[in-house]
Amino acid sequence: MSSPSLALPQDAEPVLRPQPSTWTVLGRFLRGKPLATLGVILFTAWVLISLLAPVLAPYAPLEQDIANRLQGPSEQHWFGTDQLGRDVFSRVLYGGRLSLPAGVMVVIVAGIIGTGVGALAGFIGGWFDELTMRATEVFLAFPTIILAMAVAAALGPSLINAIVAMVVVWWPNYARVVRSLVLGVKSQEFVEAARALGVPHGRILWRTVLPNCLAPAVVLATIDLGNAILVFAGLSFLGLGPEPSTPEWGRMVADGIAYFDQWWMAAFPGLAIFTVVIAFNFLGDGIRDALDPRLRK
Amino acid sequence: MPVYRYILRRLALTIPLLFGITLMAFVISHAVPADPVTANLGQKAMSDPEIVAAFRAEWGLDKPLPQQYLIYLGNLLQGDLGRSIKSRRPVLEDLRAFLPATLELATASILFGAILGLILGLASALWRNSWLDHGVRVVSLFGVSMPVFWLALLALFFFYARLGWAVGPGRLDVGLEPPPAVTGLLTVDAFLARDWVVLRNALAHLVLPALVLGAYTTGLITRVTRSAMLEVLSQDYIRTARAKGLPTRTTLTRHALRNALIPVVTVIGFSYGNLLAGTVLIENIFAWPGIGQYAYRASTSLDFPAIMGVSMVIALIFIVTNLVVDVLYFVLDPRLRAS
Repeated sequence: MSSPSLALPQDAEPVLRPQPSTWTVLGRFLRGKPLATLGVILFTAWVLISLLAPVLAPYAPLEQDIANRLQGPSEQHWFGTDQLGRDVFSRVLYGGRLSLPAGVMVVIVAGIIGTGVGALAGFIGGWFDELTMRATEVFLAFPTIILAMAVAAALGPSLINAIVAMVVVWWPNYARVVRSLVLGVKSQEFVEAARALGVPHGRILWRTVLPNCLAPAVVLATIDLGNAILVFAGLSFLGLGPEPSTPEWGRMVADGIAYFDQWWMAAFPGLAIFTVVIAFNFLGDGIRDALDPRLRK
Repeated sequence: MPVYRYILRRLALTIPLLFGITLMAFVISHAVPADPVTANLGQKAMSDPEIVAAFRAEWGLDKPLPQQYLIYLGNLLQGDLGRSIKSRRPVLEDLRAFLPATLELATASILFGAILGLILGLASALWRNSWLDHGVRVVSLFGVSMPVFWLALLALFFFYARLGWAVGPGRLDVGLEPPPAVTGLLTVDAFLARDWVVLRNALAHLVLPALVLGAYTTGLITRVTRSAMLEVLSQDYIRTARAKGLPTRTTLTRHALRNALIPVVTVIGFSYGNLLAGTVLIENIFAWPGIGQYAYRASTSLDFPAIMGVSMVIALIFIVTNLVVDVLYFVLDPRLRAS
């Protein structure tokens, strides 16, 4: 394939460019993308807030103060207090400790299951592929929130069950994407070369095919995180998430419905969900632009 | 391939999907940790062994699982979705009562989302990298990032409680007589009854929930329209059209828009199912008496048969809309007919 003139002369020293650091790569990616930059900043802020919640929060998230219930935002309570006199600001800060890991868990577990199933389907092909793809179609025939709601209700409301329900709903997307990636990689020459060398099937899949499919799958997962957090908040809003007293954003908005005039009870936790989700969407938008050469300026 | 043959083929492909959905519903409802007997029978009936035995026999709970599935299928085919624990009525009857309100809301949302999304997406693509484009992109990202139940509360708070621009929750003002039920869609029924007062009132009540529910869809359709249009505009045949001197307007409408619409139609199709599902999160807030509110109450009180009933109906509507979209596609796209 390659013409001989392109081959390196025998005595040439290979010129190794220093591997750019993660920061350099990130900086290069973010250059000229104000929205993606804002996304990274928002996301980093939320990670820090979640980690430091015990330090930052002026009150304990479960601490009740009935005498000061339903107070509007003030110097003592920046985001006001709820129906039990709990500090909304502190509860919002603590909420990140649930929503972020829940979203990440869903995407990681669903990503692993989906990648496994999709890779096998694409690699083995035949009836197994056919069967898996029909199965994913059935899952995708239900709108996300509805299927997650049915599964979560069947398992019984709890934090873990909400995550399990979402994984059940989430993996087929990854299976379909990874399958199509594997199909694309499978027919490449380096895979054929590995086959010709007599490398066992399992090893080809694991060492040769999969590594070439992972990057797009990881990108998909990053873009997907915001959505996962949004649906998790929805389940929680429906009462199918962690138990009622837990400081969880969706749940807090649901509590706020009954106290319509105390707008701060629902407004601030909702704002938290919104800022986290939009951070991922800003970032995802930047990634999509960077990946699609047609959309480059 | 003639259209009718294509429709038949697509229908044939839908059948295994339907079986899959029933199988899934069966598996989920049999994975319930709670005994379906306790879930379906009241406390009083539970203490009567005869009733319990009769219930088991009726639903075939004493038989092996595959046989149980067949019985379940048989019940479904007769429209028996079980009995709601909360309302104590057959789920199918409940759905029939609640579905029209939701269909009306979701349809209003999709109309709004499709029209606004198309306009914004097209404008954004045509004036690419202008301030308009940047603005539209940010707003459409806002749309897909907002939790709909939060947006619903905010909208009611500002536009109804504070500013008084919108009418309150519910489908009609209190004291207004609903038109005689024909379709169950208040706007259509009011139109049929020539009752303009009710029609105006029903439309006024529809605006805010439809806008809120459609926010995500509008953002999505805007984004898809924009990227589809940008892609089409970079194609050679557009350059050809321009080069041969076609007026810009003709190039855009006859050549670009027609091709860009294909992915947009797909998104509109599957968004309808998502809108129906999305009502679960907002109907309670707007006191909208649809299947969304029914499902919300069902999920908060763990009324399992009701939840399964709603999911099956929404999945069914989802499949049918996708079928319609595919057929539309086939009619729109001559390349598909040729192959």
